[in-house]
Amino acid sequence: MTECDVLIIGGGPAGLAAGIEVGKAGLKALIVDEGVRFGGQLVKQTHKFFGNEEFYASVRGFEIAEKLLEELRAMDNVELMPESTVIGVYEDGVPILHRPSDTTTLLRPKRLVIATGASEKFLQFENNDLPGVYGAGAVQTLMNQFGIMPGENVLMIGSGNIGLIVSYQLMQAGVNVKAIIEASNRVGGYQVHANKVRRLGVPILLRHTIIRALGKEEVQGAVIAQVNDSWEVIPGTEREFVVDTICVAVGLSPSAELVSQAGGRLQFISELGGYVPVRDENMRTTASNVFVAGDVSGIEEATTAMVEGRIAGLSCVKDLKGITDEKRLKKFQEQLRAFRSGPTSSKVRKGLEKLNLSFPEKLPRETAVEPSYEAYKGKLRPIIECSEAIPCNPCETSCPFGAITIGENINNVPVIDYEKCTGCGICATKCPGLAIFMMQEKEEKGTATVGIPYEFLPIPSKGDQVYALRKDGSVAGVAKVTKVVKAPNSTTVVYIEVPLEEAREVRHIKVVEMKPEAIVCRCEELTVEDVEKAIEEGYTDFEELRRRLRIAMGPCGGRTCRLNALMILSRKTGTPIEKLDPGTFRPPVIPTTFKAVSKSAKGGESSEG
Amino acid sequence: MERIERHPILTFKRGKKIRFFFEGRELMAYEGETIAAALHANGIRVLRYTPKKARPQGLFCAIGKCSSCLMEVDGIPNVRTCMTLVKDGMAVRRQKGRGEFLD
Repeated sequence: MTECDVLIIGGGPAGLAAGIEVGKAGLKALIVDEGVRFGGQLVKQTHKFFGNEEFYASVRGFEIAEKLLEELRAMDNVELMPESTVIGVYEDGVPILHRPSDTTTLLRPKRLVIATGASEKFLQFENNDLPGVYGAGAVQTLMNQFGIMPGENVLMIGSGNIGLIVSYQLMQAGVNVKAIIEASNRVGGYQVHANKVRRLGVPILLRHTIIRALGKEEVQGAVIAQVNDSWEVIPGTEREFVVDTICVAVGLSPSAELVSQAGGRLQFISELGGYVPVRDENMRTTASNVFVAGDVSGIEEATTAMVEGRIAGLSCVKDLKGITDEKRLKKFQEQLRAFRSGPTSSKVRKGLEKLNLSFPEKLPRETAVEPSYEAYKGKLRPIIECSEAIPCNPCETSCPFGAITIGENINNVPVIDYEKCTGCGICATKCPGLAIFMMQEKEEKGTATVGIPYEFLPIPSKGDQVYALRKDGSVAGVAKVTKVVKAPNSTTVVYIEVPLEEAREVRHIKVVEMKPEAIVCRCEELTVEDVEKAIEEGYTDFEELRRRLRIAMGPCGGRTCRLNALMILSRKTGTPIEKLDPGTFRPPVIPTTFKAVSKSAKGGESSEG
Repeated sequence: MERIERHPILTFKRGKKIRFFFEGRELMAYEGETIAAALHANGIRVLRYTPKKARPQGLFCAIGKCSSCLMEVDGIPNVRTCMTLVKDGMAVRRQKGRGEFLD
């Protein structure tokens, strides 16, 4: 294609949404994207989206991308060009570099929609360029797009929604998140996202910053420290973490360079992430033929990016055809106002104010009116733990019985009517924040059934024993699985039986997988495979194996494992067992308390002393 | 670093198995992976050394914005390996310095 009505730069949520509106109007559009796949950051988002179901709330990000693309592929007048980059905007046209063929095409579109997104902010600390220090987006790309573990142990920097969501995703992929650190005195992201990581046992350390990454060629650790109210490091509070990956999630800054080249004025607005294009409510920049949408116009999130894309697309149509679907345009603008009216959007509102774009604050109903606990004791019902005003309402729209109400203001917290509720549990699978739990007290037994939305592997079966974890990730005890309800959207609700007094605390489970394993060392739970692997790594001496694996260092003192380990060592190395050094036999030979030792050490006092 | 085999939400559709070369060493990848992703899956995180201070660099943004992942690919320097698909038989080298065209 060398001619088009509208050139859309960037195939993320904003660009794809703009393309759909332009395509629907019958205009010729070309969407160019740098990546190997269309969808932008959506393709890496495995969580269910917030917002309203008309705009894909409760649908996972990568599935939203598929839906948008499906719609676009059905349009003959919209072309998608992947692996291609707009390398600049010049007076005589817009050159597009097609990377696989290493050729450029010069385009003169009638309108330009710039939806280039944003880039990761780069935090300053010592050795911040060491391989293994990754932006949160890079971690998501490796893990969710390519299915590659970014590391084994991760330290997360930043507790905004991205930091919290990526931490959760890392744990889902089997990567251990050692901690999330946050320089401010409060968690930046939604409470429901913070609760999700806390119940996995991931600590969120407030008022902490990273000082340096450790390692020579790659990250081997990180040093963090506390900061005071003036954000200065408090000497003596340094702590070291053994991690191979440091994930930086400290925000994004708009990629607005093409807007500037196209003649659009930029303005520095810190609330919107940096230099953003000056634009009006129709997404038109100060260059009259150039529109923007999504993160390039101010850092927000994918739902508003899609709505902005629609507005930019409809605005192009209005320019080129003289008319547009005004009702639709108004609806999208209203949608943006509703979405941005709540307390979590106050920063964005403040930023937009500086562009003379007014988005009124609408005070949401903040307190959840939970029906009296006593009155419904014993009834199977959802417990909604969503007390922060965030723009989201799938609980309301998914309930087949109209028992949950958010109301007109999408930022309202939900109110539930237990008279109408049948305990079906659909809301628990739909809630994007995984903040709805099922509960039924059984007073006579002194227990309660708790239903937990669960997005981990393995999925337990009815009758299995699992660990019941509290809101802070601590283990409340072992619980029996009474029911497992799988949903098409991959959120399984696992029902477990817990003691009555734990019913309001237990919010997660941990499944202990019983793999068929041949154990060598009972104390340290080491298998034949563990020992063989260590020998293959080069630990070919018993003392070395002991230091590497802690074999023979447990309470039994090696009475169970020493000979077994030596036999494996002999078999693997070909050295006869009598020629191997069996290592030292260290006291005490049984577990002994310090009390017992210290008393007798005083001079032979009797243990009755 | 290994590839994720089981995931609670995602299923990974991997392409055909292919071979490529890193510093002359033969490695395995799947069609559809970027060079940087394939290297990472093979445990290689150092992608280049900087021109002035010879500092090792790896991925940072993985979406083609930061230029931290520039490598020499089939003799051509300054290739953003996070955005370039790995191909069968491709020869990839760590870039040292600003990158020179090789014969």
